Amino acid sequence: MTVPISLRHDETFVLNLGPQHPATHGVLRVILTLDGEYVVKAEPVLGYVHRMHEKLAEGGTFAQFMPNTARMDYLHALAFNHGWALVVEKAAGIEVPERAEYIRVITVELNRIASHLLWWAAFLLDLGGFTPLLYAFDDREKIIDLLERVTGSRLTYCYMRFGGVYNDIDDEFITGTRAFIKRLRSRMPRFYHDLVTHNIILIKRIKDIGIITPEQCRRYGATGPVARGSGISYDIRKNEPYSVYPEFDFDVPVFDECDSMARYMVRMHEMEQSLRIIEQALDKLPDGPVMGKAPKVLKPEAGYYYSAVETARGSLGYRLICDGGKNPYKLKLRSPTFSNLSLFGEVAEGMLLADALAFMGSLDLVIPEIDR
Amino acid sequence: MGTENVPSSIVQFAQLDKLLNLGRANSLWPMTFGLACCAIEMMCTGGSRFDISRFGAEVFRPSPRQSDVMIVAGTINKKLAMAVKTLYDQMPEPKWVIAMGNCAISGGPFKVKENYNVVEGADKLFPVDVYIPGCPPRPEALLEGILTLEEKITGKRRWPRVHAG
Amino acid sequence: MDIREKTQIALALLFPAAPVTEGPVVAEGADQGTPPPREPGVVIQDFPRCGSHLDILCRPDQVVAVAQIMDTEGFFLESIAGVDWLEKQQLEVLYDYNRLGGEHCRVMVRTLVPRTEPVVPTISGVFPAANWHERETFDFYGVHFQNHPNLIRILLPEDADFHPLLKDFMP
Repeated sequence: MTVPISLRHDETFVLNLGPQHPATHGVLRVILTLDGEYVVKAEPVLGYVHRMHEKLAEGGTFAQFMPNTARMDYLHALAFNHGWALVVEKAAGIEVPERAEYIRVITVELNRIASHLLWWAAFLLDLGGFTPLLYAFDDREKIIDLLERVTGSRLTYCYMRFGGVYNDIDDEFITGTRAFIKRLRSRMPRFYHDLVTHNIILIKRIKDIGIITPEQCRRYGATGPVARGSGISYDIRKNEPYSVYPEFDFDVPVFDECDSMARYMVRMHEMEQSLRIIEQALDKLPDGPVMGKAPKVLKPEAGYYYSAVETARGSLGYRLICDGGKNPYKLKLRSPTFSNLSLFGEVAEGMLLADALAFMGSLDLVIPEIDR
Repeated sequence: MGTENVPSSIVQFAQLDKLLNLGRANSLWPMTFGLACCAIEMMCTGGSRFDISRFGAEVFRPSPRQSDVMIVAGTINKKLAMAVKTLYDQMPEPKWVIAMGNCAISGGPFKVKENYNVVEGADKLFPVDVYIPGCPPRPEALLEGILTLEEKITGKRRWPRVHAG
Repeated sequence: MDIREKTQIALALLFPAAPVTEGPVVAEGADQGTPPPREPGVVIQDFPRCGSHLDILCRPDQVVAVAQIMDTEGFFLESIAGVDWLEKQQLEVLYDYNRLGGEHCRVMVRTLVPRTEPVVPTISGVFPAANWHERETFDFYGVHFQNHPNLIRILLPEDADFHPLLKDFMP
């Protein structure tokens, strides 16, 4: 709950939550003006890991940008690959075979679970608990092993191609994934919910902290678990369906409390829903090729194209402008965390410093995605 | 072979230096300087599967004043370069630097002709002791880098290197 | 009446001279490096082909009026992008609006300004999200947003003296 304070400006001091800080999830600098322990003003400063992705897109061909997409949000890299593949396939009119679509969905959802596990571990590390990191990383290593079998990478995947995926999945991947689903389902109640979610220390630290109203979400463009924790039911997989998501039966968890606890519960429930999607996809997996027909040198028709995918952090958009050549003319990456962080300044006013950090952790920030 | 890399101090010990270096090598305290993707592999190395704690290096210190080795994991920017140099200067002697990942070695995938913002390698700012290639390097590669640094400090490798073939 | 038609009718009031047309934004065989030629107005798009429902080309001074209509209709600002059309010596600022939940409608609003003097009024009074997006467009292209509360660089160092995403920039 934010406490209204009288702003005695002669008594405030400026503290730099500097680019090097264990709790800022990357290189984020926040210039805090504090009155004792209350935050009077919080101003995020970005750009410490700006890696020129939009300029690099213009300098190379469409295929040469695919590895870059994974480096932006490395925790859910397959969704970024997916969005880029979707927008170029839209522009060039390339068809994707059905087996490839199912494989894409299975790998993207596995990656989503891995991303949420790492968010959970890092969030609790910020709040002071080290043990959940060890449990979460244990499960995450199982996912990484599965994905490494088919994609070849542990973290920054470059698995999707225009027209499908480049490597087929084998039976050992399928049995391994089914075993993993069973394992995570059996571990969730004890290690995740009993130990942490129902823990009185966690509840006291994040309940009623960082209230974001639905109107604030709309005015700042916040999407993903931040919006779903404020009662807005917006998930690109349901509202603007792409790939084969309409074939699956899954729920979109929405909580109305608007606090950090609601955002926490949204992500925990999303992990369970991803397990459901993976199960259904494995059951319905068709046979066939995994790569469609795509020209060697891609020259899509000139025009303005947009594709949106749902990443673990929100709605990722690729605004692509083609001019008929073999390089993109302009690529704008609509990063979900950029919009989510823009409301930090307004919401953190009047909070205690420790609460402001808990709120920042609940926003799930990945700074290279903000800075691109 | 080992002591030449430790900056000379006013008081020099003889055999005691070897003992001190053994102590320093086996309890390297890294500074949490994860900038980008390589930071996640550094966290995985700290997890239970790869367990950097076996080599004495699990105590990641947020403050440079309490750490021995700075593992530069990620891309250094022109905006961040001054902060990185300040952190390096704030570390007390003896200190070492591990450049983890292609970005810290040479700018990595961002060393292109359109590069306007990325510093091409950590060694443009301060001396680097160990380079670990990879994008990102596997946790086993980071452990090998720590072992190489230990070899540099003490002069002897911790246990025999396993050769293939 | 669905939301796309409702928005289209509300926006068409700003362009009394131009009728609402349908079709792709770019004519076949467009020249490279030039924006597609068009009069200000509303164009209905083929959503599965290009990802937006409506495309609006407006004059720079109409940008705030369009933003107010989108705010009244309940849209949110998804992103602001800049485009450098070097041959025609124009910069384009592209606004993407979307809906949070409910019926889906994505609207693309574009405006063209001369490259030597790019000035556009700010919409951060209507949508606070525009604050950071406009700072980024200024950072990358040098577009000046009038009455912006804090138009300083956001991603590049504050003392940088170049705008990197312009087509004739090479470090």
